[in-house]
Amino acid sequence: MNTEARLQRAKDALAPFTRETFAPETNRLDVVIDAGDLTKATAAMLAADCGYLSAITGLDLGVEAGYMEALYHFCDAAAVTSLRVRLSREGQPEIDSVADQVPVASFYERELSEMLGVTVVGTPDPTHLFLPDDWPDGVFPNRRDFKIEDAAPVERDVPKIPEQGRMGNKFIVPIGPQHPALKEPGHFEFAVDGEIITGARMRLGYVHRGIEKATEQRNWIQNLYLLERICGICSHTHTSAYAMGVEKLAQVEVSPRALAIRELIAGMERIHSHLLWLGVVAHEAGFDTLFMYSWRDRETIMNLLEEITGNRVNYSISVLGGVKQDIGPAESKSIHKAMDYLEERIRYYLDIVSTDAMFLQRTRGIGTMTRDEAILYGALGPTARASGLVRDVRLDSPYGAYKHFPISIVTDERGDLEAKFAVRLKELLVTCFTIRTLVDNLPAGDLTVRFPRKVPAGETVSRVEAPRGEAFYFIKSEGGESPTRIKIRTPSLCNWTSVLNKAVGHQLADMPMMISGMDPCFSCNDRMVTVRRKNGSQTMSWFDLRAYGIEKYKSR
Amino acid sequence: MITTPNFINKVVTGITTWARVNSPWIIHFNSGSCNGCDIEILATLTPYYDIERFGIKLKGSPRHADILVCTGPVTRQARERLLRVYEQMPEPKFVVAVGSCGISGGTFAGCYNVVGHIDEVLPVDAYIPGCPPRPEAIIDGVVKLLNHLKEGTRPQPIRPEIGDHA
Repeated sequence: MNTEARLQRAKDALAPFTRETFAPETNRLDVVIDAGDLTKATAAMLAADCGYLSAITGLDLGVEAGYMEALYHFCDAAAVTSLRVRLSREGQPEIDSVADQVPVASFYERELSEMLGVTVVGTPDPTHLFLPDDWPDGVFPNRRDFKIEDAAPVERDVPKIPEQGRMGNKFIVPIGPQHPALKEPGHFEFAVDGEIITGARMRLGYVHRGIEKATEQRNWIQNLYLLERICGICSHTHTSAYAMGVEKLAQVEVSPRALAIRELIAGMERIHSHLLWLGVVAHEAGFDTLFMYSWRDRETIMNLLEEITGNRVNYSISVLGGVKQDIGPAESKSIHKAMDYLEERIRYYLDIVSTDAMFLQRTRGIGTMTRDEAILYGALGPTARASGLVRDVRLDSPYGAYKHFPISIVTDERGDLEAKFAVRLKELLVTCFTIRTLVDNLPAGDLTVRFPRKVPAGETVSRVEAPRGEAFYFIKSEGGESPTRIKIRTPSLCNWTSVLNKAVGHQLADMPMMISGMDPCFSCNDRMVTVRRKNGSQTMSWFDLRAYGIEKYKSR
Repeated sequence: MITTPNFINKVVTGITTWARVNSPWIIHFNSGSCNGCDIEILATLTPYYDIERFGIKLKGSPRHADILVCTGPVTRQARERLLRVYEQMPEPKFVVAVGSCGISGGTFAGCYNVVGHIDEVLPVDAYIPGCPPRPEAIIDGVVKLLNHLKEGTRPQPIRPEIGDHA
């Protein structure tokens, strides 16, 4: 089915609710609907199989326009259908929740309500997601007339993280926000009944910095460097998504060579990210030898990235209109040499994680998620592909050089932790192969083309496959030197729903592995989150929990 | 005489300094960083850079740690946590700020959810600049701090000058 047919299908499904339609780009359809019809329209979209809810953008059109919009973006392969709901800026605008149909929407809705001041009626948890506990009421950072002075901290009784004790016969085990394993602060509370988890809740926002708002105060070029620092692990993903979207708005054609170099760096970033993940999860399992091995081998790719871009972490290779550095014969030689070494090592790791009996005890049959559950929870990236759900932007909507250098997708039907290892490691082998192909067949062309200072007015959607799944960008320009609105939805946000829901019924000892198994990234996310809570508490640090998990399995 | 209090004091101080310099355990806290510095700190601990040869170990509990390694600007939600981790550490304790954001707020200076750089919340004993700093730079910063520990002095670092980010 091609993109036009998909858009037509969405158009037909939405026909009873449509007020106005626009087609801003060839792969997009914007449908204006009444706020009252939102739940029915969502049901119609899901019933007609018109894709999954990828993000909700809250858009303030300013004091003069007098209204705001909530954009519900449904992605169906390359087709993006956006339901636009107009909301008044005055009083207390209200919108119905769709979280009962799309569980992951509860995160998006909480973000919408705290950032834009829209009351979402019927959303499971209306508390703060990103913003700190001392944030004043009635101040919404994504409104156009937001002033930082209004956001001064207010004194209020904030719910403290439980210290110790128990209530009834349930314990709550809080973990974090300080814990050494994940390197990032997040706070989890697991309600346990004996060994078995009966509820899970999380509070993020410790790393929320307010990047979306900050983009509006910086110009198009400064934003490239700001967005790169959303996440140090997948920095190139963010610059690519942003550059691609802005280039689309400015109608600048980037040379095939620059696009191929971007894909090459994206592949190398995927290798570094997956090897990093392998080490961290092995560490959670108490398999520190694998941790040290995979991090040693990861240095190969870090050195390569440094050789090409001059930087180990924030590569800054993309610029608006192209890339900064070229790949010469010397670099391609080092790339081939590094790939030889890495391919051999990855095969060895693949062998270990699929045959080592001790390790398999920790992964086989743990956290099994079926394909239907993956669809329901809106899983993305390797987490979805390990459940047999083929969801990959590189395949669904090939962007940049992926049109000419396609990749093969690795999936696994099993859905447990073992499958996640298999998918990520096989994906590494595929990536190594793609990198070799790219280096050998780099198209000719200039590295950069001239890029205008001001970007013409318009809206665009830009989607990129990050190592963890689909990253979604919505970019709006009003023709100035800065963007009017950039909405970013990162993949970890979607995958949390699946982990927190799958946690219920599992042993507490499996939690460190399950959380790390989806490769969470707080700094991308916190730019968010919660699920459920029960009463009672007992303190256990992440460190203790991890040690407990290892001990538990040792004594079996 | 061998048993004078002065002599015993000297011996005890000598032993504690020797122990402190040879096994400075660290705790790491990310108060709003992008992960870039965090993965470099982790890389410093792994075999390629092997910071364990200085006796440095990453600990899970603040009560076991001598050095608090901070990354990132301090966000409003993380501020209280950062202070709590610092308060839980036993004396003498040292703070190392890693990365541009920790030093000046970096690219996030002026964002609505950012309190500021680490210096505004905690007294910092060493700054390691870079976005992110290379593992070698992190090792260099830590070794400089260790030299101070050896001499029994507290470093008096000067926060690198920064331009106006606003």
